[in-house]
Parts: sequence; C-alpha cells; structure tokens
Amino acid sequence: MGLRDDIERYKDVGEDRRQDLSEFIQYGDLGQSRRDEVNIPIKIIDLPEFEYDQRDMGGVGQGDGGTPEPGDPVGEPEPGDEDGEDGDPGEEGGEHEYYEMDPEEFAEELDEQLGLDLDPKGKKVIEEKEGDFTDLTRTGPTGTLDFERLFKKGLKRKLAMDFDRDYVRAALQIDGWGPAKVFEWARQQENLPVSRAWIESAYEELPRDERGTYASLEEMETDIERTSTAQRIRRDGIDQVPFRREDERYRYPEIIEEREKNVVVVNIRDVSGSMRQKKRELVERTFTPLDWYLQGKYDNAEFVYIAHDADAWEVERDDFFGIRSGGGTRISSAYELAKERLDEEFPFSEWNRYVFAAGDSENSSNDTEDKVIPLMQEIDANLHAYVETQPSGNAINATHAEEVQQHFGGSDDVAVAYISSPEDVTDAIYEILSTEEDNE
Amino acid sequence: MSDDTPITAPEDIEMQREAERLEEPVREAAALAKKLGLNPFPVNYWIVDYDEMNELIAYGGFQQRYPHWRWGMTYDRQQKQGQFLGGKAFEIVNNDNPAHAFLQISNALADQKAVITHVEAHSDFFANNKWFGMFSDDPDAAAQLARHGETIQEYMQDPEIERAEVEKWIDHILCLEDNIDQHKPYAPLDPDDDAPEVDTEELSDELGDLQLSEEVRQEVFDEEWLDAQRDDDDATTFPDEPQRDILAFLRTHGMQYDTDAEKAIEMKEWQKEILEILRTEAYYFAPQKMTKVMNEGWASYWESLMMADENFAASDEFITYADHMSKVLGSGGLNPYSLGLQLWKFVENTTNRRHVVEELLCVDGITWRNFHDTVDFEAVLAELEPDPMVASIGSDSLDAIDADDPRVDAEALEAARNGEIDLQQYPWKLLSYEGMCKRHYSLTKPENRGFVSRISMGELEQISRYMFDDSKYDSIEAALSGIDYAAGWDRMREIRESHNDVTFLDEFLTQEFVDEHNYFTYEYMQSSGDYRATSTDYLDVKKKLMLQFTNFGKPTIVVSDGNYRNRNELLLEHQYNGVALDIGQAKDTLQRVFELWGRPVALRTISKEYDDHDLEVARRRDREPEPKEQGIEIRYDGREFTREDVEWSEVEHLAATDVDYDTKPEEWLA
Repeated sequence: MGLRDDIERYKDVGEDRRQDLSEFIQYGDLGQSRRDEVNIPIKIIDLPEFEYDQRDMGGVGQGDGGTPEPGDPVGEPEPGDEDGEDGDPGEEGGEHEYYEMDPEEFAEELDEQLGLDLDPKGKKVIEEKEGDFTDLTRTGPTGTLDFERLFKKGLKRKLAMDFDRDYVRAALQIDGWGPAKVFEWARQQENLPVSRAWIESAYEELPRDERGTYASLEEMETDIERTSTAQRIRRDGIDQVPFRREDERYRYPEIIEEREKNVVVVNIRDVSGSMRQKKRELVERTFTPLDWYLQGKYDNAEFVYIAHDADAWEVERDDFFGIRSGGGTRISSAYELAKERLDEEFPFSEWNRYVFAAGDSENSSNDTEDKVIPLMQEIDANLHAYVETQPSGNAINATHAEEVQQHFGGSDDVAVAYISSPEDVTDAIYEILSTEEDNE
Repeated sequence: MSDDTPITAPEDIEMQREAERLEEPVREAAALAKKLGLNPFPVNYWIVDYDEMNELIAYGGFQQRYPHWRWGMTYDRQQKQGQFLGGKAFEIVNNDNPAHAFLQISNALADQKAVITHVEAHSDFFANNKWFGMFSDDPDAAAQLARHGETIQEYMQDPEIERAEVEKWIDHILCLEDNIDQHKPYAPLDPDDDAPEVDTEELSDELGDLQLSEEVRQEVFDEEWLDAQRDDDDATTFPDEPQRDILAFLRTHGMQYDTDAEKAIEMKEWQKEILEILRTEAYYFAPQKMTKVMNEGWASYWESLMMADENFAASDEFITYADHMSKVLGSGGLNPYSLGLQLWKFVENTTNRRHVVEELLCVDGITWRNFHDTVDFEAVLAELEPDPMVASIGSDSLDAIDADDPRVDAEALEAARNGEIDLQQYPWKLLSYEGMCKRHYSLTKPENRGFVSRISMGELEQISRYMFDDSKYDSIEAALSGIDYAAGWDRMREIRESHNDVTFLDEFLTQEFVDEHNYFTYEYMQSSGDYRATSTDYLDVKKKLMLQFTNFGKPTIVVSDGNYRNRNELLLEHQYNGVALDIGQAKDTLQRVFELWGRPVALRTISKEYDDHDLEVARRRDREPEPKEQGIEIRYDGREFTREDVEWSEVEHLAATDVDYDTKPEEWLA
C-alpha cells in the first residue's frame, strides 16, 4: 500500500465512474465540451454529498477594477474558486472534473455502447504517393535489381541441380555398368538430377583401369559413403551460383491511393416561434453527439449549420442552438440552401454527406410533399435524417416527420426519429446511425 | 534535528545544503513573528523534493494516511497541474503541536521565505484560535492520523475481510464527512454505546411493584393498555432533538445491509471502528474548513508584512516573492485568500481609524457634523507618521538611540552595540512590539492615506454618541499625541482568537468594504438561463457569503427520526433556508446513507418548482418567475427511490424564513 497503490486504485475507480455515455448524452452538461473535445463529467471526484442546488445558491463575485451593475450578465461562476489554490489540509479541491475524450474515442465508445459499427467510406483521392519499393518488375534500372532474390533463386536452382557426383562416378566403376545403365539407375532409382551428357563425359574421364573396381552395386554402396547436399556445400562452399536472366527482378515503389475519409454534416434546425426551450435542448442533445460521432469517424469533417423559419440562413455553430426567431416555418427553404451549399463545395463524389434536420414537424401546408421530399431525393447523401422533437406529444398539424417516413419508409438512406424527452435521445441516435449502417 | 534549528532533511547532500541555507530564515522568521505579537506553536520544517511535496499535498499534508483512491486522485491532479502551471511554491502546514511544515527543495529562496513566514502565521492561528482548540488543545495529529492509517490498512490486509468492502465502506462514510456537529467539541463515542432498548418486560414488573389491587390492575392497566404501552414504546421516536452529527447517529444506531440475506444486520467491529475513525478525522479537519478565509487571510497578512515591509526578502528575491503572492492571491472570482487578506487589513484600518477619530472628536471645535470640513487630514497623517527613529532604525548611529525608549528593545540594542546583530538585514530587532506597531502603523501607508477622510457621517455620528468630553484637546497634535498605535494589531489578535469565518464576515463586512473591493452578488436567472449580477448592497453580499461559509457551505441535514414509520427507518430532514437542495446529489447520498443504516432511509426537503407556463410568461415579460415551494419526501429502500409530495404542514417546521438568501431585486420578480 502507499502512493503507488492509491494511484492504481484511483485509476480503476476513475475508469468505472466516468459518467455513462448514454446518461451523459441524455442529461449531461454538453456545454463543457467543444466540437473537437468531449468533456464528460467524472462522478468520482465528488463522492456525493448533501449540497445546495448550485443555481439556486447564487454567489458572490469580485469585480476587476469595477463592479458590474445589477442586471449585467456575469458568466458562469468559475468552479473551484472558493477552494483556493493550494492544497490545504482537509481540502478536497475542484468540484467539477471532466474526463476528456476526443471524438475518435467518443465514436468508439458509442459504437460499443449502442452496438454500432459505421465504417466510413473514403471518397476523395487526395494523392497518389510512392509507397515502399515493394512491387517488382522484370526490367528496370540496375540499381533497383533485387539481388537478394536473384541470389536466392540461383541458389535454389543450384540445390535443385546438385547431386552427389562422387557417388555417381562410383556407380560408373561397377563392373559391367555403362553410362546407359548408370543414367537409368540414377534417374529412376536414385532420383538424381543428373544428365546423360554429364554421365557420358564422366565415363570418358574415368581411367580405363578403374572401370570395374566394384563387382556389384552392393559392394560399391558399402565402400562409398554418400553425402548430402548440405554436407557438400559445407565442405566445398558454393563456388558458383547459377544466376539466370529469368530470375532477375527489379524493384519499384508501390503506388498508394490515399483516400481521405471526408464528411460534411449539414445540421438544419427549425428556429421558428413554436420551437421552445425544451425542443431546442432536445435538438442540441441529439445533434451534438452526432457531430462528435461523425467527426470521430472521419478524417476530415466539415459542418454546415442552417437555421430556418420561413426562410433559411447559415449560422455559426455557437449560435446554432440558441437562435430563436418569430416567423412561420417552411422546411424546404433549408433544404434549398443545403443543396446549394453542398453542390457548391461538397460534391458527392468526394464527400460523404449527412443531412440532419430537426424541428417539431410543423411545416407550411404541402411544403413537405411538394418540395421537401423531392429535394431530399435530389440531394445525394449517405443519410438524410429528420428528428422530430415534441416534448408534449404530437401537435395536430405537425405531420412533417410522418409524411417523410411514409414516403421513404424502409429506405436505407432516410431515417426519421421521434424525441419527446431526453430518454429518447440515445434511441434516436441509434435509429439514425443504424439506418446507414444497414445500407452497407 | 538540532535544538535551535528545527529543520530536518534526509541524508542527501543537496537536501542538507538546503536545510543549512534555510536555517537562518527559519530562525529569524520565528523571531520576527514573536516581535510582531504572534505566538505560534513551534514549527518543525522538513525539506522534501518535488515528488514528496506532491505526495504530501495529496495526503492532506500528512505523511501517513489510510489507503484510499482519493489520495491517488489528488496526486494525479497535482502532477498534471504542476506540468501546466509550473512548480508553484506550496505551503503545507499541519495543525499540530509542534506544527509541521514542508519546504520543497527546488523552490527559490524567496519562495522558501514566503512559505516560512506564511507558515509561522498559520501556526499562530492554530495555536490561538478557539475553534482549533475544540478538537484538542494539544493535538497530536500526525501520530493519530498515522495510527488511523495503520488500523485501516490492517483491516484491508485481513484475509477475513475483503479489501473492496473496506474501500466501499470508507466511501460511504466520506459522503457524510461534513455531516457532523462542528460547533460542538469533538467527543469520542463510547465503543459500547449501542442503541438503547425499550424493555416492556420491565414495565409489567414495575406495575407489579406498585402493589395495586388486582381489580384496579384489571380495570385500568388491562392487557390492552399494556399492549398500547408496548406499541408506544416501540414507536419511540428518537433522537429527542434533531441531531446534526449524522455520523455519530449512524455509528450508534446504524446497521449494515446484508445483500445476500436481504436484511439489516449488525455492523462488524471493523465497520464501527472505521466509522469512528473517519468521524474523528472529520472533526479534526473541521476547524480548518471553518476558518479558511480568516486563516489564509491571516497568514497572507503577516507574510506580506514580514516579506515586503520588513524586507525579509532581499531585493532580488522580492520580484519572485511578488510574483508568488500574485499567483496565490490573484486567482480570480471569490478567493478566500484575498477576501481574508482584504478583510483583515480593513479591520486593522477601521480599528485604527476609530481610535484616531475618537481622539479627534475630542478636539475643541471638531464635531461629527463638521469633521470632514474642519480636520486637516494632511496634518493628521503627518502627526501619525512614524518618526525616523522607528521608520529607519539601525541606519544611523546606535548611540543616538535611547535604551529607555519603550519602542526600543533594550537587550537587542545592547547586543547590537556589541556588534552581535546584523542590522543591515534585521533592523527590526532593535524595536520592541510597541516600536513595531508604530513602524507599521496602517493609516500612514500609501494605499491607506485616504482612509481616515473617507469615514462616513453615519460612523462619525455613532462614535460621537458615546463621547462625553468633546473638548479635551485644543489641537490635533495634542489629540494624537497619546494615540495607541497597537490598537489595530491588538484587535486583530483578539478576533483571531474567537471568530470563525461566519462570525468574522458577519461582524466586519461593511458597505465601505464591499464598495472598496468591488464585491457583488449574482443569481441564476430562470428567464434568461444565465447568471446576472444582482446587488452590491453589503447586506446582500454578506448574506451570500454567509450561505457560502455557514455549515461548510452545505445545507443543514439532521436526523429527525430513527424509528420512522415505526419501522426503524431513518428520516433525515433538510432544514430549508430558502435555497433548494441538489436533488440528484441528495439521492446519490441517500443511497450511501442506506448502506450505513441498513434499512430504508428517507429525506424531507422543500423543493422549488417552476411552472412551464409561468416560466414562459416571465420570459416574455423579462421578469423572474416565482417558484412554488413544495414539501417532498424522497425515500430509498435499497432498491428504488420514491418521491412524494408531502403536505406543507409536514415540512413547515423546516422552512426558516428569517433570512432571504435571494438577492434578486424585488422589481425583477414576475
């Protein structure tokens, strides 16, 4: 026990107590995170305690060079201020701790938790680069000759042609055995790779008086000890490796097609008067994890945020979830803008496209059928999704989601999800992401 | 450890050298602290390296604690912070007699000195503040905590006991570590003090002893009555008074829940002992939590006085010192160090000012009405200015100094004349406490020169109300000739003896202070969903600070009934002061309480509920909605939670209405 041990235990406990991912998506404080860094509160840091509701408690601040007027916004109270800085005896320190995840890790964990496995498609060839010199060709500059290969081939060849010459010569010394007899014996009984020509010339070279040294094959075999190829190479070395032209290979570099996995996500949100606080929050809870997920899955992710009432306009992410306007609703306005933006900058041949829209399903009459659905068909995308957020059940004339679903029902590139409370969020995310997974 | 230099360093040449280097600063800081009127516990200093320092920080300043993951967590965080923020000079000092403090070897000399002076002042606070005396007048903390550590470690290593069980048990208890009665002195619980049992047998026996006739007995005290008595007895609600020390109550009456048997069973010996150990530690650390603002402010005040005003840092060290100070004090938001430091300085200034003004109002012709117009404040300041003798003592010939001057330390003067004192470094040695008071008199310091003239008419009138002889003096000079320059410091020491953060803030926070330091309150706005500044009125600021510092800034939860529903369930009550409970946390905590009670547990509180419609209306009108207060009871039976609304009459006694902690202006409300 001791420090090592306590740190070890902390690591174990910390791993266990990071807020469950789905719980975090449903109820967690998404605001602590950025698009490229997901901060998930770690429950561990505070063992639970009886505490005041932080918001209800309010607090005291100190102005820097002046005092704010009553009514001035003062920003989020900085956590941990009251705790001072130095590790005072008995102090527990900061109140909010976050487990940092990058989007890759987030996507991995979400895959695991929801049982998803979206395999991102590489679309755009960004470069052909020379890989390692691993491919081979029969011709090429001398410098790229694969000598090692040539040598090995040659050696193999040599080994294949090698035979125990002394042994064959001895066979020629058997009384009554001529070249024809020896050739037949060597090839058929001994399986030696010897040629007729070699035997004949060996026979010629053999002194006359040595022909008939042995009375029989048996006698020769007892007198002569056979050697194996390995023994001979060890004894004699390789004086010559038979290099052949046909064994020559030249190396050249492998060409790798780098496909970058690009994704463009279009987030569309209805900001009209009917989209109250709760609905807005539900959209944020659904879109934000989707953003993280796709960003984590692809090498390069671009995001387009479109807000619309009766008209549509592009906004920054920071503003996207907060905007509220007064006007009516015409969803097609957003799809028109989305199409324009996508065609301009993100050709489908090079980009994976995701078009996510959310709202309370209210739309101006016939807009869905006459315009939105045709637009959705026109806009090529890996996935279109519509997320209906209706905290208090369905409104009568809110039929957009339904119409879309009826039209595309069962299709593998259009998903429709309904959310009425934070509990539904993870299901909706699953619904959306699994729709595309199916179409692979 | 040698006797005169209480610095300990490991057998390492570097460490030893550092110890030697710091011998003089340590000795002189203690001497200077005494000269300034402080009376600290002796401090033992230990030289440690960076890793050891981090480890000490992680273990709450002690070398030996019980095994627990949270130390590992703090260490981990400490290291990460160190990586990003760079090594900061940490001051660790333990409330102990002698106190123990740690100096990190890699720190610059200026930082070491800053830590040493800071530590001396903390040690003075430990030794003299009565809240620290509540745990023990003569703590032996390091040894006690080490013993606790050993005990718990033994349990963890006991093959009969699962380590994970011990860890979980510790976690449960730690969730309630602030639920003690920190305003009462710590009293150990008798290990045999278990739940009192109501003995109904005894009752029948007693009736027998009354020697009533069988008839009367039959008539009046029939079986039915006896039964009813039994029921009543079983239905005894205890405790009689709501009890704040939940840990003590659980230790005495709690049980553990046996998951296999699905029922409550007696706590094991080890469980009881660990509960008591952690309760003891909670009491030990409570005073530090209760006096954080005061204690840190106190230490910062004297550190800065010793370092900057008494040149305890050499001139090149001063830059690093100032740097260090601003890092500690300037961390933005509400910082207990700077709040404390500012408030102590304010107390010093107001005390001195009051004393000066009292004298000035006795000058013929000066009244509270004409004060600002009549008084020549420059003349007042010139009069109060420390004369060169104390201001720059030691720089001139020693012969001119009169040994009988009460501002002079005659003994030191003698020694100095014999050349035994380094006057270049330590001129203050020549002065007595009285001399030091004059030398560091607050009102003439550059930053406070407007302080006397800023006194409000209200305060003047109040002071003058108790003046009888208002023309004692004929001139300002005469009035100020008898000024007690020690008034500020004397008062500060009194306050550090008896106050804690709550009483300190309550008594000394004024509008003048709040204005001078730009304090303001803020609230969360339901309508706009953000935080807004709400008030700069000192009463509001004070209320909010009270909320933040009373009861460790936590809601007050008491044990109301240990036999709730007549089924030995536990009922806790939240004494609602208008600020709602964090229900999520409360539920998580209830689960832990269940583990320590063994039977169902319930919590009553009052929740604030906002109606969606009201919220929308309020938002449209740019006003704040009024919440509806609703009594609720949350119950946890080991498996699931239930939440029920309860009648207002059931929770009315919990709702305190004397202070409204909400600082939103009235006209903001819908």
